Amino acid sequence: MIEIQSLTFRYEGADRDALRDVTLTVPDGAFLGIIGPAGAGKTTLAHAIGGIIPHAVRGDFYGAVRVNGSDTAETRLTDLSRMVGTVFQDVESQIISSVVEDELLYGLENFGVPRDEIEERLTFALEQVGIAPLRHRTVSSLSGGQRQKVAIASLVALRPGILVLDEPTGELDPFSSRQVFSLLRTLNREYGMTIVAVEQKIMLLCEFADRLAVLSEGRIAREGTVRQVLCDIRALEEIGVNCPRAALFSSLLAEKTGAEVPVCVNAEEAVEAARRVLG
Amino acid sequence: MTDLFQYVPGNSPLHRMNPVTKIVLTVSVCAAAFLTDNLLVLLFLLVFDFMIGITAGAARKAFSVFRGLFRVSVFLFILQTLFVRRGNRLFWIVTDEGLLTAAAVVLRLLVVCLPLTLVLTVTRVSDIAGALVQVLRVPYPYAFTLTTAIRFIPQFMEEMSGIMEAQTARGVEFDTRNPIKKLGMLLPLCAPLLISSVRRTGATATAAEVRGFYLRTWESGCRKYGFGPVDLAAALICAALIAGAVLIP
Repeated sequence: MIEIQSLTFRYEGADRDALRDVTLTVPDGAFLGIIGPAGAGKTTLAHAIGGIIPHAVRGDFYGAVRVNGSDTAETRLTDLSRMVGTVFQDVESQIISSVVEDELLYGLENFGVPRDEIEERLTFALEQVGIAPLRHRTVSSLSGGQRQKVAIASLVALRPGILVLDEPTGELDPFSSRQVFSLLRTLNREYGMTIVAVEQKIMLLCEFADRLAVLSEGRIAREGTVRQVLCDIRALEEIGVNCPRAALFSSLLAEKTGAEVPVCVNAEEAVEAARRVLG
Repeated sequence: MTDLFQYVPGNSPLHRMNPVTKIVLTVSVCAAAFLTDNLLVLLFLLVFDFMIGITAGAARKAFSVFRGLFRVSVFLFILQTLFVRRGNRLFWIVTDEGLLTAAAVVLRLLVVCLPLTLVLTVTRVSDIAGALVQVLRVPYPYAFTLTTAIRFIPQFMEEMSGIMEAQTARGVEFDTRNPIKKLGMLLPLCAPLLISSVRRTGATATAAEVRGFYLRTWESGCRKYGFGPVDLAAALICAALIAGAVLIP
C-alpha cells in the first residue's frame, strides 16, 4: 500500500512547490492512473512514490510517503526498490547495458533472483512486452519505442509489488501503447501488482485503470474511480486535461436532453447511451 | 563513427575468449608497441592487429579506425619529422632519424588504437565488467564506472552530432572546410554537452541504484567467465609479442 500524507516538495533552486500538500492512498492491487497538464507535478509524484525523491533529487521535502509501511525518506533507495519498480520518463538514462538481454539481467542478478528462475522471468518479460526477437540486439540499434519497451521489460522481470511508470507509452505507437497497458492490466489482475501509471493518453487510462488522480499545479484536483473523475468534464477541461470523446458526448447528451446519462468511457457505452436517451 | 565502440555479436574465437584474456592481449600489444623502436616489429604488430580484426569479423571496422586516424597520423608524422633534428640531413631540415622516429610514432599510434577498438567490438561491455569483478575481483563500482564511461562514448557522440544538426538547421555553417572556424563553432557546444552529460550520468546512477546496484557482489553475475584453450593460445601469443618486442633490437 502507498500512503502519501501532506506531501509538499520544492526542487532546489525552484521558486514554487512542485507538489503541494498532496494526500493520497493507493491500496494494494490498485491500478491508478495519474493525469494532469504539463508541470502539474506528475513526475515529481511518481519519483516520490519510488523514493527517488528525496534520495536522489535535492529539494525541500515535507510530509510523508509510506510504501508498505516503510517511510521512503528513512528507507534506503536500494531497499525501497525491492518493493517499488520505477520506469523513468527519460528511457535513455534508464538503460544501463549495451545489449537487451543484459539490461534485463542486470536487476535480476543484483536482487539475487535464483539462477533457475532467471530464464523464466527473462522470457516472460520479453514475450509479454513483445520484444522477444530483440533479446540479443544491441540497445543502440533499437528505435526509441523499442528502447522504451526494454526499459519496461527490465522492471517487469523484477516483478516488484508496486510498479510506477512515468509516461510509459511516450514514444510508442497506438498499437504498442495498448500492448503495454494490456500487460500492465495482466500484471495487476493476475499477479496482484499495484500499478501507478503517469500518462497523457487519457483514453488508455480510462480503459485500463481502476482509479484516476488528476494533478493540477502540484495539488490533487480530483481523485476517485474513472467514472467519478470524469463526471465533471468542465472542471477537467479547466485544469487542462483532455477528456475522452465518449465522456464529452455523455456529458453533452445529459446537458442538451436533461436526461440522466451515466458517464461513458468508450464508444460502445456512448452508442448505448444515445440509443437509450434518443430512442 | 558512433558505431566505433559498439559490440558486434558473433561466434569467433575472439568472441568466445575470456574478457580478461582480451584485455591482457590488448595490454600486451600496447606494451609491445612501446617496448620496441624497431619499425619491422611495429609493422608486424599492425598486421597482427588487422589479423585480429579479420578473425573477429571486424575487418571493416579496423579499416575505418585506420581511416579515422589517417589525418592525425599525417599531422604527427610531419610534426615529428620537423622537430627531430638528430641524424643525417636528407633534405631541407628533414633528417633520416627524424623520418624513422616519425614512422615509429605513427605506427605505434595505429598499433595501440586498433586493439582497444576491437576488444569493444568483440566483447559486451557488461561482460568486461562481469569478468573484471568475477575473475580479478575488481570492486563492482569501479568496473561499473569503467564500463559506463565506455558505453557513454557513442551516446555523447550521438548527442554532439544531434546538437550540431540542430545548429546547422538554424544556419550555423558546420560544414565549413576551415578547421579553425569549425573549432570556434564547436567550442560553445561543449558547455551544453557537458551539462547534459552530467545530468544523464546522474540519472543513470539513480537507475542503477533502483535496480540493486549496491547489492551487487562478485557472485551476483549469472554468467561464468572460465578459461579455455583459446585463452591459453592468447596467453602464449601475449608472451611471444612481449618477448619479440624486447629481444628484437
